[in-house]
Amino acid sequence: MAMSIRDRVLGLFSGQEVDRVACYSGMGNVTTAGLAEYGYKFPSIHGDPGKMANMAASSYRLFGFECAVVPFDMCVEAEALGCAMNAYEDVNQLLYPTIKEKIIHSNDEMTRITIPGDIHERGRFPVVLEALRLLKNDVGNEVPIGSWFLGPFTMAGQLMDLNDLFKLCFKKPDQVNSMLDILSDLIIAMVPRYRAAGADYIVIREMGAPTDVLSPRTFRQVIKPHLEKIFRSIPSPKILHICGDTNLIIGQMNDVGAEAVSVETKNDLVKSRETIGIEPLLFGNVDAYNILVNGTPEAVGEAVLRSLAGGVDAVWPACDIWPEAPLANLKAMVETTQKYGASNWARKTRADQ
Amino acid sequence: MTPEREQELLKKLADAVVNYDEDMAREGANEAIAEGMEPRKAIFDGLVVGMQECGRLYEIQEYFVPELLMCADAMYAGLDLLRPLLQKDDSKPRGQVVMGVVQGDVHDIGKNIVKMMFDAAGFTVHDLGRDVPLEKFVEEQIKTDSEIVALSAMMTTTMLGMRSIIKMIRERNPKAKIMIGGAPVSEQIASMFGADGYAKDATNALKDAIAMISSLKDM
Repeated sequence: MAMSIRDRVLGLFSGQEVDRVACYSGMGNVTTAGLAEYGYKFPSIHGDPGKMANMAASSYRLFGFECAVVPFDMCVEAEALGCAMNAYEDVNQLLYPTIKEKIIHSNDEMTRITIPGDIHERGRFPVVLEALRLLKNDVGNEVPIGSWFLGPFTMAGQLMDLNDLFKLCFKKPDQVNSMLDILSDLIIAMVPRYRAAGADYIVIREMGAPTDVLSPRTFRQVIKPHLEKIFRSIPSPKILHICGDTNLIIGQMNDVGAEAVSVETKNDLVKSRETIGIEPLLFGNVDAYNILVNGTPEAVGEAVLRSLAGGVDAVWPACDIWPEAPLANLKAMVETTQKYGASNWARKTRADQ
Repeated sequence: MTPEREQELLKKLADAVVNYDEDMAREGANEAIAEGMEPRKAIFDGLVVGMQECGRLYEIQEYFVPELLMCADAMYAGLDLLRPLLQKDDSKPRGQVVMGVVQGDVHDIGKNIVKMMFDAAGFTVHDLGRDVPLEKFVEEQIKTDSEIVALSAMMTTTMLGMRSIIKMIRERNPKAKIMIGGAPVSEQIASMFGADGYAKDATNALKDAIAMISSLKDM
């Protein structure tokens, strides 16, 4: 009998033998096809738990994606801390929400930041929690439910001016570290609530910290200690994702205590394996725009095979799936993984020898 | 000024930028002014040379974004002193550029670095900031009759708006040069969208801006 999707995804973390690589994600994967099916407008799905849950489940239903993940935008944490969000309700093109009013404008405000005891009741945390509960009831027996948080550094970038934050990393790393330590507590406080509401696995997305942006030295100084603290404090399964160029820091990423590391297309998987070896779980790295949106189904299939050849243990899009990705491409991603996810899985072929 | 002294001063300005030393940049600029160096020379053969070196260091992954931002601060420390003299000194204006980060995107570091290079070259910069509605670029170009429009996006999700802006500007004013830049932009995308130039990251934006400015400098 074929393995259930839930067992395939979650079994990998608990050390169970699973039949093949799964095709899923820990990031947003809402599609315009899903929006059309329900008649939802993109800006409306971020604040409504029912719509959020339906959209997350629609990717499983429409193209067999092996998960259901909420939320979709990067403002949830910052909003709960008091920032104002813009959902672009009056704009015709598809835009993800952004923060329009930050809460930290000075060094003083930086050192004064605290996490309120009722943080889970603030901003849209109640919406995400309710969406998780709805998802659990809806598809929770079939697919694993995923959720994610911004890493503390990326979160800080939502709360204050990025230029200032970057320079302070260099000039006053201690001050940045104090703030990031406090922001880590937000994640540590919220993860158990997400899990209790239905999330089966958690991803920490520290997308502000690739080497396109920060040096490996700065990563060691101001990123790594907080990721270590977070991963020490949250339950399994737990995954770290960083976008952009990560080959120079893949060793550090592998060291922070996450059970799996997910990387973007810019990461050279073969080189990563050379650095971290064959044992750690590595996920990735199908280009979520140039291939999934602009490519043909054949190109998508090739990209999946490239990821497998690079030694991934789960086929993940490299970032949020851009909603306009054609269904034919998304189906090709899932089907290629189904077809080759056992025969081309380096870990399995090693075990069978 | 002796050629040796000139070289010494230019090197001081370049080094100040590379070593993100704002005080040294100010000192170098003041010495250049006091000793009668042409401000344009101090900027292009001193500060800009330093910034080019920063771009190279970024490319070989010795410098990263925080370092670039601090180099930019040092460059501005020198520019703030030299630029007012440049404008006085110049009979004809260098040109105008409209720039900004497209709607949906609030990341403006790349844009600010390119802006600095236009500032350095004595351009009048109409900076629309970040998260700028698409029509605003078109309106501002028409209003100011700027020769260049520079659009920036950090995320794929916002890059797509560039296409509409380029189309709108082309319809109203086919002569304007349009430059696009940001992490998701590629040569393919630039040609697909109909842009005149592109820059795939901060370094390339810097190089493109320098190349564009160097060619315009001699006009």
